[in-house]
Amino acid sequence: MNQAHAAAATRSVTMVRTVIIVATLAAWEALALSGLLFRDVVPSLQAICSAVFRLLTAADFYFNLGVTAAEIGVALIIGGAGGLAVGILLGANRFLSRAYESLVYYLGPTPKIIFFPVMIMWFGVGSGSKIAMGAISCFFPIAISAASGIRQIDRVLIRVGLSFRASTWQMATKIYLPAMRGPLVNGMRLGLGVAIIGTLLAQTKLSNRGLGYLIIQAYSTFDMPRMYALIIVLFMLAVAANALIGRLARSRNS
Amino acid sequence: MLEVNRISKRFTTSDGVIPAVDDISFAIAAGEFVSIIGPSGCGKSTLFNIIGGLVGDYEGQVKVSGDIIHGTHPAIGMVFQEESTFPWRTVLDNVAFPLEISGLATSERLERAQHFVSMVGLEGFERRYPAELSGGMRQRVALARTLASEPRILLMDEPFAALDEQTRLLLGDRVLQIQQQLRQTTLLITHNLTEAVQLSDRVLVMTYRPGKLKREIDIDLPHPRDSEVVSSDAFGRYVAEIWHDLREEASRGIRDDENRVLRARSDR
Repeated sequence: MNQAHAAAATRSVTMVRTVIIVATLAAWEALALSGLLFRDVVPSLQAICSAVFRLLTAADFYFNLGVTAAEIGVALIIGGAGGLAVGILLGANRFLSRAYESLVYYLGPTPKIIFFPVMIMWFGVGSGSKIAMGAISCFFPIAISAASGIRQIDRVLIRVGLSFRASTWQMATKIYLPAMRGPLVNGMRLGLGVAIIGTLLAQTKLSNRGLGYLIIQAYSTFDMPRMYALIIVLFMLAVAANALIGRLARSRNS
Repeated sequence: MLEVNRISKRFTTSDGVIPAVDDISFAIAAGEFVSIIGPSGCGKSTLFNIIGGLVGDYEGQVKVSGDIIHGTHPAIGMVFQEESTFPWRTVLDNVAFPLEISGLATSERLERAQHFVSMVGLEGFERRYPAELSGGMRQRVALARTLASEPRILLMDEPFAALDEQTRLLLGDRVLQIQQQLRQTTLLITHNLTEAVQLSDRVLVMTYRPGKLKREIDIDLPHPRDSEVVSSDAFGRYVAEIWHDLREEASRGIRDDENRVLRARSDR
């Protein structure tokens, strides 16, 4: 009985979803065909589909995807290592925490794009400034999670390690890091999210490669089908990346 | 084996300087089981941390086999009052922890850890995580972990405080068995009268703040002992005798707490 109910509920959820998607697509297509909006602003579904196909079969998409992925990856490594180090210092040292932690909290939600001109001057117009933007973005959530992670470690576990005369390195790798894994994984998730945002945003502003650049290029040459195709693909990639990290975090937490 | 020589420790708080431990001296012979009993707030946990080398900046000396020690010492193993198993490690890996710290090869360390897991009666639970175990089982894991480092002196700070009375009695049997088997020099910190008399060769009674030694009582009950001993007349006499000394100290502790609450109210 209950199972039947659950199955029925799942079916109706699927149905509502399908209805909404179909309705949106139909409305889109109607708008495209109606000619109410200027030329290609709302391209037909068929035009978008073929643009997606052309995008995915062209080599330059994969080159730019590679550029973006590499920039995000390096940004995550730099920002992550810096955030981890600063977070651990803030979490472990009460004086430093009182001096700087509020600063980290206030700077955290500030839109990092305002630093972009500075980053261009410091690191040039190439990949350097994009990586810097991604790194600055993910530095804050990772630093904040590391600081709170180190503070929530059960003090007695540290005393256990000391009583067995563990070295500083053993304390770090065998007690501190595993004990703060939950908050750290969480910080990395948030960090990846904002690193993607920071890097892509920078690419749309000033760049000659990367997915953000491709979108802006399509926009400025008024290739609307291609622009929508890029947005759709990017959206799918972001969903996939989030799902992947979510799965990793769950398997690690269990 | 273990000698504590005129140990004093003061803490500076916002209320001023509080003497936690005041001029305590005692010695424990090899293989002896000694308990220190005192009311809460008598500084017995501070004493535990000083002997274990986790608290510094005290007056006096701690000696192991005649040598003054500073800080942690490989001959001393500590079992803590709080939940202290590593939640991310299995039972076996928890017990193997000290062997991992000392750099023993994996196969040998798992074999030795297994030995101590069996000693505390946790065969079959090697691959379980602490979260799957009961409080009493987790304390046995913590005990096995400390035993695995093969300390000559075992220090325990109210290891069964969070457990119910029946589990506590049965775990006491287990601890006594292991102690007899390993002939381990043991110092148990406790506030539990039954536990102190059940396990010890000698009980030291501490005063309430500042913690001094008030009295020393030899427990002349036959060995091997088990928890059945609690029903004997001699056991009852020992408990009564210790309680006679402890009662006054515990009442002072309670009065002190009441006064503190009253003061806090009038401050507001």
